[in-house]
Amino acid sequence: MNRLFRTTVALAALTIALPAFADDAKPLAGQSITVLLPSGQSPTLAADFEKDTGIKVDLQMLTWDDIRPKLITGLIAGTPPADVTEFDWSWTGQFAAAGWYEDLTPLIDADTVKDIAGSAIFTVDGKLLGVPYSNDFRVMLINRKHFTDAGITDTPKTLDELVADAKIIKEKGITTYPIGMPLSTSEGTSTTWYLLTKAFGGELFDDNFKPLFTAPDSAGYKALEFEINALKAGLVDPASTGLKDSQINESMFGQGQTSIMISGEPGRIAQFADPTKSKVSGQIEAILVATESGKTRSYGLLEALGIPASSEHKEAALAFIKWMTSKDYQIKNYGVGVLPTRTSALKQLNDDGKLLSGAVLVEQAPTVEPLFKQGTPTWYPQFSSAVSNAINQAVKGEVTVAQAVQSIADETVKAQQQ
Amino acid sequence: MTLAAAVPARRKGDKGIDGSADARLGLMLAAPIVFAMLSLVLIPVASTLWESMHRVNPMMAGTPFIGLQHYRDLLADPIVNEAWRNTFIYVAICVALETAGGIGAALLINQAGRWRRYLLAAVVLPWALPGVVNAVVWGWIYNPAFGLLNGILVAAGLDFEKFVWFNDRTIALFAVSLVHVWRMLPLTAVIVLAALQSIPNDLYEAARIDGASRPKMFANITLPLIRGGIAIAMTQSTVAAFNFFDEAWILTGSARGTRPILVQVYLEAFQNLHFSYGMALSVLVMIASLAVSLVYVLRVQRVTRLD
Amino acid sequence: MDMRLSHRIGVWIGIVVLLVWSVGPIYWAIATSLTPTPDLMSQPIHFFPEHLTLNHYQRLAGFGYIASGDVTVASQFRNALLNSVITALAATIVSIFLASLGGYAFARLEFPGRQTIFFIVIATIAIPGYTVLIPLYRLMVSLKLIDTYLGVTLIYLSAFLPLALWLMRSVFQQLPLSIEEAARIDGAGRLTILFRIVMPLAAPGLVAASIITFLGAWGQYMVPLIFSPTRTKPLTVLIPEFSTKNFVDYGLINAAGTIAMIVPILIVVFLNRYLVSGLTAGSVK
Repeated sequence: MNRLFRTTVALAALTIALPAFADDAKPLAGQSITVLLPSGQSPTLAADFEKDTGIKVDLQMLTWDDIRPKLITGLIAGTPPADVTEFDWSWTGQFAAAGWYEDLTPLIDADTVKDIAGSAIFTVDGKLLGVPYSNDFRVMLINRKHFTDAGITDTPKTLDELVADAKIIKEKGITTYPIGMPLSTSEGTSTTWYLLTKAFGGELFDDNFKPLFTAPDSAGYKALEFEINALKAGLVDPASTGLKDSQINESMFGQGQTSIMISGEPGRIAQFADPTKSKVSGQIEAILVATESGKTRSYGLLEALGIPASSEHKEAALAFIKWMTSKDYQIKNYGVGVLPTRTSALKQLNDDGKLLSGAVLVEQAPTVEPLFKQGTPTWYPQFSSAVSNAINQAVKGEVTVAQAVQSIADETVKAQQQ
Repeated sequence: MTLAAAVPARRKGDKGIDGSADARLGLMLAAPIVFAMLSLVLIPVASTLWESMHRVNPMMAGTPFIGLQHYRDLLADPIVNEAWRNTFIYVAICVALETAGGIGAALLINQAGRWRRYLLAAVVLPWALPGVVNAVVWGWIYNPAFGLLNGILVAAGLDFEKFVWFNDRTIALFAVSLVHVWRMLPLTAVIVLAALQSIPNDLYEAARIDGASRPKMFANITLPLIRGGIAIAMTQSTVAAFNFFDEAWILTGSARGTRPILVQVYLEAFQNLHFSYGMALSVLVMIASLAVSLVYVLRVQRVTRLD
Repeated sequence: MDMRLSHRIGVWIGIVVLLVWSVGPIYWAIATSLTPTPDLMSQPIHFFPEHLTLNHYQRLAGFGYIASGDVTVASQFRNALLNSVITALAATIVSIFLASLGGYAFARLEFPGRQTIFFIVIATIAIPGYTVLIPLYRLMVSLKLIDTYLGVTLIYLSAFLPLALWLMRSVFQQLPLSIEEAARIDGAGRLTILFRIVMPLAAPGLVAASIITFLGAWGQYMVPLIFSPTRTKPLTVLIPEFSTKNFVDYGLINAAGTIAMIVPILIVVFLNRYLVSGLTAGSVK
């Protein structure tokens, strides 16, 4: 068996040593990098990049759930999981503390950082750890046909208007459960509550990461009450306590069985417009996030590309990041549902009339704030899990609102101390 | 004679003249196994055991030695204890249902005559379905609005319109276990079937001539002879139930009420990045499943020794 | 006579229940794979698909593809199917070879440390995958075995060998000693006895151990996800990729899952010939 090992090692060494063909116009041609991204990327991504730069890409696509264990295994073992990897906004605090990613500040020009406003979310202590490539923030999605059928012509701007409209739609029998909202123990439940907390005009934490959601007049408290009241009023499907956001989007909103997605993802608009995938093509549009005051707010959940510090092909990796976050490619990549992170690309798409619900997205984009002003904390996963577990228990009536928010606060404090 | 020979007997006289030749051959045949297990399992486990006594957290500098601190903290961690409770419930449900169902399935397959091979293939099907597809399919079956289960119950005139299977903790634990049982039951069935196939037919012939009834033959011939197989199958079920992950993760996410211990390991090590804390917990999982399995194995050995 | 009849009826009822339990959810998976995507979420549900479509299978097979994202689906699927077959077969052959030789040694041959070694090897069954994941990953990286058939086969071997070994030892222990003793008196060596006399008698055990190892390796997910990410990627890792962050293609996932079942089922039906005729044929002679 040992001999077998040695043969394999020798073979691998030979493959690496094969001479690379140099190309003057493409200085890095012949190099080869590995890239780890969530599935759903353009099928020609690797080929397009190789054509433009001569760099070969070994593209590995995994489902969203699988990216994390794959990354962490490599990073803890001290080997690069890939030369370029997915880098989610929620990982920023942890990955920065671990020092796992290359500082891109000196490598990315100032104009790019300015054009991609979301870069701030990935900047910790002045170090840019990832360049955002996929723009995700929250809007609200409505089924315009349901609103029209119910005789509603105005777009709701406040949460009260939104609930009033939902009640009309329910009374007219257009949909039984007009409001779509995940209440299961999943990330989507947490992110919906964050958005509602913002909509009620508040923040999750103060500047010292002290919880701000435990007092009954706090925004977070009101947000949870809002969810429970909507459920009790029969506006939200009771089955939502077992459904993830993706299931509600696909099996209810996409089927015309619910009329309003509180926490709407701009990335889904294209999917809903596609008649081969949805039954509501032509009926869905984005609206600005309705809030208590009527002044819209939103927050960003962007995805970026980063280079693990242990990567051995950093130059080629950087070339990939620059290529994939370029204005041209972002405009092209909108074709597979990835919303551009560059303001210029977003604008261009809208000017060309290619951006679905473009006016709303362009208006909402500047109101996008980071969820955590000080940067995503290292204990974000514990916090998010505590949030969805507490909300799930509260909507099932197992605990009161006061107990639920207190348990979130207690666990957050515990996680902060670890 | 046959009965005595069929019971595993340790024969001391076996050492005979070529005892040393036997020992050499035995060592030779066992050597590749020892080498493989040592390098691929035991050394990695030792390395994890060592790491679990350090504070390995990539977000903190250094990896100081902390002895058994993690183990002490784990015992006092309420969330970990809740996950243990769920896991013990999963183990009880899964091992009981898989063992009873697996033995039943093996007996039925054994009696199915010429349809036997097709019946076996049908029984093995759930296991051949890739795990992800399994979870997706069952997710659909339990779906409140479009699920097969509520569909059938409603069609039968029962009030299960939009019934949510995962709202009640007890029902959820059972519903999630059932998916695991559905997938793992074939393993028990195949192991028990192999044991059943090894029982010489003449034992039953002799018993029939003596006028023994079917239940009596099952109790006196079948059960004692498949006991070894059952111990193997139960150990396998126990370990699989302690390692319960996919079904719970895909069907109910990280919900505390249904969160098994291995999901807790995953969350600690891979989400919270308390790496060595998670590894210490995984060591405890190993010890717990080993301890529970040992109960059956020792019981079976004691019983077979009496024969 | 009455007893016999009621027994037969009992057996047939049992078989029907067993079939509904095992095949019911499979039927649902296949029905989903044949349903057009927009029809999947209809209410009330249809126990039989209203409109049948082969679209999902066509996309896997690579002809008549519709969406632009499908250019690579067919070739990826073919490679993954091949990788699944290669790794599961390799794991089965190596594991069963070592387990049957070792099982015989642990059952019949006296050698120093026999009980201890056996116990330690069996005890490794209880080790959760996460416990060894990181050290094993480091080892595989240092041996340059990531994304190779050899690397995955070795990991599967370490995972499935203990159970196969235990099974084989218990099968060998159950075999009558008298046959082997007779052969030894005739002057046959240990290995001759093992291959000529014992192995044929142990056929049901060998088949059961092979089925268990093959299906165990076939269904692996976490191991190939980490250790064979691209070139040697099996079906189990490919299938979930049909879901993106925003859209889960249930039809395509179920179609791929249905095809993924075919190979193991063929193997079970084929091997079953030996499982049925194993000991009964041998002991008569």
